[in-house]
Amino acid sequence: MESLIAATENCRYCLMCRHVAPVGHVMHDEALTPHGIALVVASQKRGLLTWNAESVAILYAEPDAGNCRAHCVTNQPLPAAIAAVRAQVAREGLAPTVAYELRDRLREQHSLFGTWQPASGRSRTVLFVGDEGHNLRPDSTAAALRLLEAAGIGAIPVGIGLSSGYFASSLGFPALAKSLASKCLDEIRAAGAGRVLVLSPQEQFTFRQLYPERLGVAWPDDVELADLSTVLTEAVNRRVLNIRSQPSPAAYVDPSHAVRVPERFDPVRLLCARLLGQPPSELFWRRERAHPVGSTALQFTRPDIAERLTRARLKDATARGAVTVICEEPATLHALEGHAEACGVTVVDLYQALAGALC
Amino acid sequence: MVPRGLQFEMIRSELAEIVGDAHISTAETDRLVYATDWFWLPQMWLDRGQEPRKPDYIVRPGSAEEVSAVLKIANAYRIPVIPWGGGSGSQGGALSVFGGIILDMKRLNRVIEIDEKSLTVTAEAGINGKQLEWAVNEKGLMLPHYPASANCATLGGYLAPRGTGTISTKYGKAEDLVLRMQVVLPDGHILRTPIVPQHAAGPDFFRLFLGSEGTFGVITEATMQLDYQPEARLLRALLFDDLTQAIEAGRQIMTRRLDPFVIRLYDPRSTASRIRKILGYELQGAYMVIGFDGDPDLAALQEEKAMDIIGRFGARDLGREPGEAWWNHRYDFYYPPQSLKLPWMYGTTETVTTYDKIERLYYAEKRAVEEGFADWDIDFIGHFSHWFHWGVMVYTRFIIRNPPEDATEAVRLHNRVWNTAMTAVMNHGGMVNEHHGVGLKLSRYMQRQYGDAWPLLERIKKALDPNGIMNPGKVGFGF
Ligand SMILES: Cc1cc2nc3c(=O)[nH]c(=O)nc-3n(C[C@H](O)[C@H](O)[C@H](O)COP(=O)(O)OP(=O)(O)OC[C@H]3O[C@@H](n4cnc5c(N)ncnc54)[C@H](O)[C@@H]3O)c2cc1C
Ligand code: SF4
Repeated sequence: MESLIAATENCRYCLMCRHVAPVGHVMHDEALTPHGIALVVASQKRGLLTWNAESVAILYAEPDAGNCRAHCVTNQPLPAAIAAVRAQVAREGLAPTVAYELRDRLREQHSLFGTWQPASGRSRTVLFVGDEGHNLRPDSTAAALRLLEAAGIGAIPVGIGLSSGYFASSLGFPALAKSLASKCLDEIRAAGAGRVLVLSPQEQFTFRQLYPERLGVAWPDDVELADLSTVLTEAVNRRVLNIRSQPSPAAYVDPSHAVRVPERFDPVRLLCARLLGQPPSELFWRRERAHPVGSTALQFTRPDIAERLTRARLKDATARGAVTVICEEPATLHALEGHAEACGVTVVDLYQALAGALC
Repeated sequence: MVPRGLQFEMIRSELAEIVGDAHISTAETDRLVYATDWFWLPQMWLDRGQEPRKPDYIVRPGSAEEVSAVLKIANAYRIPVIPWGGGSGSQGGALSVFGGIILDMKRLNRVIEIDEKSLTVTAEAGINGKQLEWAVNEKGLMLPHYPASANCATLGGYLAPRGTGTISTKYGKAEDLVLRMQVVLPDGHILRTPIVPQHAAGPDFFRLFLGSEGTFGVITEATMQLDYQPEARLLRALLFDDLTQAIEAGRQIMTRRLDPFVIRLYDPRSTASRIRKILGYELQGAYMVIGFDGDPDLAALQEEKAMDIIGRFGARDLGREPGEAWWNHRYDFYYPPQSLKLPWMYGTTETVTTYDKIERLYYAEKRAVEEGFADWDIDFIGHFSHWFHWGVMVYTRFIIRNPPEDATEAVRLHNRVWNTAMTAVMNHGGMVNEHHGVGLKLSRYMQRQYGDAWPLLERIKKALDPNGIMNPGKVGFGF
């Protein structure tokens, strides 16, 4: 914990990731940038500030979306450091009330967005559906499973409605995150899986990096972790998955946490291109500079900021003349859809559209 | 400083009426974050747990009209107003030394127009430098002002302290790239400067705002010259045994107008320390990176001619790879923990002068600082990085790795080093600064720097800002 928190001592006077910091960009507030939050933490340590509702609100305004670290030449784990400071604050009973409510819900239900259904069955390949995939967009998940089947990849769903531990960690409850991590790994082991496909870069990041770094939980060596869109792109390229293209322009929205899994930038675009008959158009905030839309705890701790981030992505699309946006990730789709109509934008769910266009 | 109480609340509500409640903050945490920019002194002060001087209000205007209305209120109540861009200035220019209103410009972040025929961009002054660059890159263009702080600085912050970027040797300083500005004067009057800066229709009042660092008004919009992104960028590194020969080689390249976009010449001390640390090369001598860009044939020819000159000075050609490595990692120096960082004491005493004086100036400053602070085991390093037809800028830095722990003692030592360095600079015909601006840090040297021209600047200040509300304590002006 302390070694992670040490990153704030580096970041407190560093401004080098300001240009990609999403919250700073929509709030225009120095305090809500990586440097600002790190300076708040450092100042509290030096007795210049106390943790109170106002300073804690700043601490909980960081999205834990990875943009700062993705652009950090010295790879400072600032999001992990902030999660560790939140853990200290939460232990002292000073976290926002909503954080404790979410903790209780996660403890009781292992899910933030609905319910967890323990998985059954065994398969070498499993699709980790997760909390948001199951509870926010069950149709997308069903479409993803149909696509896998069409590609000849037998996979059963696991982690159906189960929170991976990302939210618990992000909110400052590492012990709870660790117990959720155990649950996820138990389900994966119980299914006899040697390969886990994930719907979302949030989960890929959580399994690959958050578990070992923040929770001290190792991902099993004998289990391969793969991104679903990348696997489907390979299947399309090998012509085992055949899609009828449905020519229409759309702008691609990189999902939240995409910057943490840069190797999926190209494959998912190829998949979009196969569906649209042309490469998707690009937003200004794309690829390594993509800003988060949903899928972070901000929607609970700072809904005002979460909403601004979502609207900013939709505005980014309309500013570039796009009336349709396309994305594959359940939580991002859910957030976009919440504001799309008001912004005059149509949202296309990539997996559902692909499943509907199977030859 | 506005005492908390009825008047404080009245002013707050008047400001909120202008910008909206969401865009004003008086929260303790926000005020603390805005209490320091990138100046070593306030950072050290906070690092040692000392209470800083905070602004009273942080206001984020969304238009020039809102800026104007805020300035009118500030005049009515005689409250200082401090424009704040990215807070990346190293001179304390954005510090609220007398409290007052921090005018955070970042909401003014729109690209208004990209003119692909005249190659210009018009944007609001609070736009982030890198985001502006991305916007023009989408049209195959670039804003050839590449400061190491592009990730965090704003367009207004480029212009207000007369910044310089890595490729200025060919493309000019920020002030050479600006064609037009919208400025809000201290009394709230909004004006636009003429459509182009080069004309003969009267005096060039336009330039008054460049370098005024918010003391003459607030820049709210600027039109900047763009360039096509270069087809070729040819870089290579060279090693000179001797700094004198390297400076002379640079001078000859510049005075023969071979048009390099960069000549970065590290003194032997920097070559041995920074180049080794960041690029991993163990070298002794003066490391130079030189680059030519644009049309590939022209760039190659310019490089060939420059190499003829360099060859005469016996430099070792290290080839392209180390030149390109430098280009690709040139900003790595600024990421902690690689960057200079507290608890060390450091300062960039960069200066500029003509070729006939530069070497004597560099050695005089080096000797004064090294000898004056030998007890502190001071390190003095430098590189020559912005070259002109007539002279060159030298980016000198001092570093003390074990400064006093006591904050007051640290301030005293810091100021003694600065006095020593600036005295040496001015005694040898240098300017106290080439691109970081004056801010609070160099304010005390302005009278001496300007000599008999200083009263004119004071008169201009008085005429524009009779109540002295604009960024008091900076650029040599009081409150
Ligand atoms: C890592 C790093 C690297 C740097 N490298 C360079 C470099 O290569 N070249 C260089 O020139 N500088 C460099 N600097 C210094 C600094 O970034 C520049 O001076 C920068 O241009 C300041 O911009 P800013 O928006 O952060 O301004 P701020 O720091 O917010 O303000 C600087 C001054 O300008 C005034 N000001 C800001 N906006 C306005 C406005 N709209 N109207 C009127 N006044 C205004 C402020 O009041 C203050 O006096 C570097 C700084 C850092 C942290
Ligand atoms: S994450 Fe890296 S780039 Fe961002 S503030 Fe920290 S040290 Fe700087």
